[in-house]
Amino acid sequence: MISRYRLETLGMRTFVYVFLIVLLVITVVPIWLLVVNATRSTTEIQQGLSALPSTHLFENFRILESKGLHMGRGFANSLFVAAASTVVAVYFGFLTAYGIVIYNFKGRNLFMGFVVLLVLIPMQFSIVGFFHYMSRFGLTDNYAALIMPLIASAASVFFAKQYLESVIVQELIDAARIDGASEIGIFHRVMMPMAVPGMATLAIFAFVAAWNNFFNAFILISSIDKYTLPMLVQTLRGDVYRTEYGAIYLGLAITVVPILVMYALFSRYIISGIAMGALKE
Amino acid sequence: MRRAKFNTHSYGYLFIAPFIIGFLLFGLYPVYHTLTLSLTDTTMMTRQAEFIGLENFERLFADDFFLKAVSNSWLIWSLNFLPQIGIALLLAAWFTDVRLKIRGTGTWRTLFFLPNLLMPAAVAALFFSLFSYYGPVNQFMVQAGFQSEAVHYLQEIVSTRGLVVFIQWWTWFGWTTIIIMAGMTAIPTHLYEAAMVDGASAGQMFRRITLPLLKPILIFVFVTSLVGGMTMFDIPFLLTDGRGSPASSIMTNNILMYLKFSSSKGHIAFASSVGVLVFIMTTVCALGFFYLLRDRQPKASVKAEGQLAEIAARQGEPA
Repeated sequence: MISRYRLETLGMRTFVYVFLIVLLVITVVPIWLLVVNATRSTTEIQQGLSALPSTHLFENFRILESKGLHMGRGFANSLFVAAASTVVAVYFGFLTAYGIVIYNFKGRNLFMGFVVLLVLIPMQFSIVGFFHYMSRFGLTDNYAALIMPLIASAASVFFAKQYLESVIVQELIDAARIDGASEIGIFHRVMMPMAVPGMATLAIFAFVAAWNNFFNAFILISSIDKYTLPMLVQTLRGDVYRTEYGAIYLGLAITVVPILVMYALFSRYIISGIAMGALKE
Repeated sequence: MRRAKFNTHSYGYLFIAPFIIGFLLFGLYPVYHTLTLSLTDTTMMTRQAEFIGLENFERLFADDFFLKAVSNSWLIWSLNFLPQIGIALLLAAWFTDVRLKIRGTGTWRTLFFLPNLLMPAAVAALFFSLFSYYGPVNQFMVQAGFQSEAVHYLQEIVSTRGLVVFIQWWTWFGWTTIIIMAGMTAIPTHLYEAAMVDGASAGQMFRRITLPLLKPILIFVFVTSLVGGMTMFDIPFLLTDGRGSPASSIMTNNILMYLKFSSSKGHIAFASSVGVLVFIMTTVCALGFFYLLRDRQPKASVKAEGQLAEIAARQGEPA
């Protein structure tokens, strides 16, 4: 005899799994179609849907390049901007957070409160002023305008502070001080090796954010040879590629696949990085 | 010997100095500059700009396009936020339910979060292709007999707006689920045990224990999502012609700002005033919401603060 209680649980559980599978299909199908269609020819795509890859990957790439869109260069540009942004955001994020966590200076709590406020304030509304001000220094159409603001990335500082509070061992720092290490030397040689997992997690988020950033790059960068991938995607939407479906999907896949690979490797860190704030107090 | 007098804790100022300098140069000054620009008649062409007071703002309020952009942003945001938070609450409740024992919760979360990492520009272009006249969606709908013939999805107001709402929801529901689930697992289990002893039903426990203790997290999700929604750009910009077609139905605040900015004269003063007004509107709404849901017990705010680590990590603006 199955009790009514167990029967109810069983029914509920079945319902939940069905619901989850439906959500999964909605989540994955568009991404799957994107990757699969990148390997199919335009004719095949027009003939109908397919869940299986085809063999036209290289042909699509040839078409993509033949119309004057240099995905390779865009990829390199994006890689450079994202890597530089990541280094700046992670290094200065941890530097600032270390100052907050280790030193009990006057105004520390006020400064931390200010950082939290900055995280919530939408800075995008000042992009026009930022552009105009950068143009005075000739820094528009320059990657520096995209990268340098990350010196003051409040979000990175917040993450780094949360992380450092859980890993820092004060005794090690005191010991290094007795051994005569300079304060910045302690940061570089004692703290940084200890914080590698946290820095890696922040690096993933910083990289994805910079890689995907369209709006700022779109406002600030103007010459075509400096276009990053999201800006090339905008070009892909244009008339030149109107009927070249295979090439369009391939162009989009090129922007997405590196992130998919990264996610396959590091999803554990990404998910726990998101949840981290909540699990700590 | 001078060094011995220098308090070690003062080194803190040196460590935070780059941040403060960076903030003054790239954060605060642009904000100040945007504000002052919005009070002038500056264009990209002019060298000399004149102070014109609040004239830009008067013109904005008289401008149907501005009102349309604001109402579009609110409509698109609220239509995606409600199902987003609803499904996230549901999933988080199921995943943490000890009686249901759902398997592979980690894997489900990981998969549902996937769309969030993809480049929004590419996602917009992808859905443009999927829903175009000769695209796969039309093929499928016609072949399966749901439609008698192909439809111009992106020329209809309802389907275009619906698609933007869907994409925003698709991008963010996994993120919201992870945040809410983290909040739920942080609730002490003894509270539920005590409630169970008192004979509370699952629904009662959800309303009386889970929701109140989740409030700081819900406020956090609301505020970050609102900020993202009010500054939404990539998806509506790239889904149609970049002007919010059809009939300006997906023209959002930031698209309008961009259109003013990139207009032939480069009306950057006017574009700045759009940014300023959107900022004021968003901040007032966020603060109002904080005030309405404020917790009388100060402890809860600490938790909401803890939630920020996640944006910390992302630096993106959720929508």
